[in-house]
Amino acid sequence: MGGPTENSPQLIVGGKRIDGRGMDDLRPIKIVARVLNDADGSAYIEWGKNKILAGVYGPSECIPRHDQSLYRAIVKCRYNMAPFSGAEEHGRSGPNRRSKELSKVMREAFENVIISENYPKTQIEIYVEILQSDGGTRCAALTAAAVALADAGIPMKDMLCAVAVCKIGGKMAVDPGKEEDNFGESDMPIAFSPRNGEIQLFQMDGLLTQDELQQGFALAKAASAKIRAIQVEAIRKVYEEPKNERFLLIK
Amino acid sequence: MAESRIVMPGEMLVDRAERISYAYVDNGKTYSTVVGLYSEGKLVPLEGPYEPLPDDYVVGIVSEVKFSGYSVDVNCAYPAFLSSREIRERFEMGDAIFAKIISINEMRDLELSDAKKLPAGALAKVSSVKIPRIIGKKNSMIDMVQSGTGCQISAGRNGYVWIAGTGNASLAVEALRMIESQAHTHGLTDRVSAFLKGQKKE
Repeated sequence: MGGPTENSPQLIVGGKRIDGRGMDDLRPIKIVARVLNDADGSAYIEWGKNKILAGVYGPSECIPRHDQSLYRAIVKCRYNMAPFSGAEEHGRSGPNRRSKELSKVMREAFENVIISENYPKTQIEIYVEILQSDGGTRCAALTAAAVALADAGIPMKDMLCAVAVCKIGGKMAVDPGKEEDNFGESDMPIAFSPRNGEIQLFQMDGLLTQDELQQGFALAKAASAKIRAIQVEAIRKVYEEPKNERFLLIK
Repeated sequence: MAESRIVMPGEMLVDRAERISYAYVDNGKTYSTVVGLYSEGKLVPLEGPYEPLPDDYVVGIVSEVKFSGYSVDVNCAYPAFLSSREIRERFEMGDAIFAKIISINEMRDLELSDAKKLPAGALAKVSSVKIPRIIGKKNSMIDMVQSGTGCQISAGRNGYVWIAGTGNASLAVEALRMIESQAHTHGLTDRVSAFLKGQKKE
């Protein structure tokens, strides 16, 4: 996120955001669960123009052995951007500092809710692949990964979801798109445990006053309830409209 | 009879502290840890890893021949060992066997016994949580699939299903997938029966 410069586009035009959304409107979100044959649990999410696939394995034997814990399962998480995701020149995709950081913060969020003591000496692997990126991928990825974990039947205290808030044109808004993320004055992704409102991921870019932070937080919390409903719907569909195979339908 | 409802991880089951499998208590309330069917104090997960118990019968694939026995792949995060002392036959790597879990130690290593080699066939992997439904009350469901396809089917509690014989193995797999995905619904037995009869005519 670079922040606004002289040549930045105007992010608020006629009181509305550049894509016509209100300050507390989310982009359209669709989630389908159980879409991969090989993974134990999986989910595909389209959040605005973001397209992200999440696959979960485990619990399985922890390899390498020296990583294992005698007391709980080790949670591993890999956030990766595909070469065509649009975030960078395609030759420069793949693991980098940013994706290592996102892998870490996502892993820490899930470590807090996965009941890992049930499976000592094992590992649980979470893989998220960003197929197309348009701002807010970490939140969409975490949201999809939570559905994939639930799909795999891995016991958790809660199913997490995440959403970012931003400051654009001096005001707080929910769910920044790519331009709002790049040229806004602040960007704050937050992951919630909807059960009790506990925060499991909290990052911030830019400058905010205490007031703005609280406003942003309230916007995010309200949005998280809507996102949770979409996650639940995706899981219910697996059982209410059972399919013999796991696949992504192109309609 | 109370209706059961689908619950999500983190969803409150009851407004008080209660000991329910696959649930946890926080601040005097009980919450689910899994996607499951909840009704009257009982929570059944709709998905999840195989949780081995002593006396479970499992299908395994011999993965290593050791000096004193065999390492067996039983679709579990924990290793399973079959001691040579527990059996009369000899096995080779890649053999499919039907065996019983006789014990699980504190390190979660599984010990197998009563193993018999299964005839040539193929392995299907299903969610272990659905195996009871695949077997059915008094083997009713699995017998129906066997007679409807002409295959010999051995279903392990661990989710490995061995399909042998000269029958229609791919039809058997389709039937298994159907039962697996609809295990939580009513009227499944009739639908599977109709499906198998319909396929037989073709």
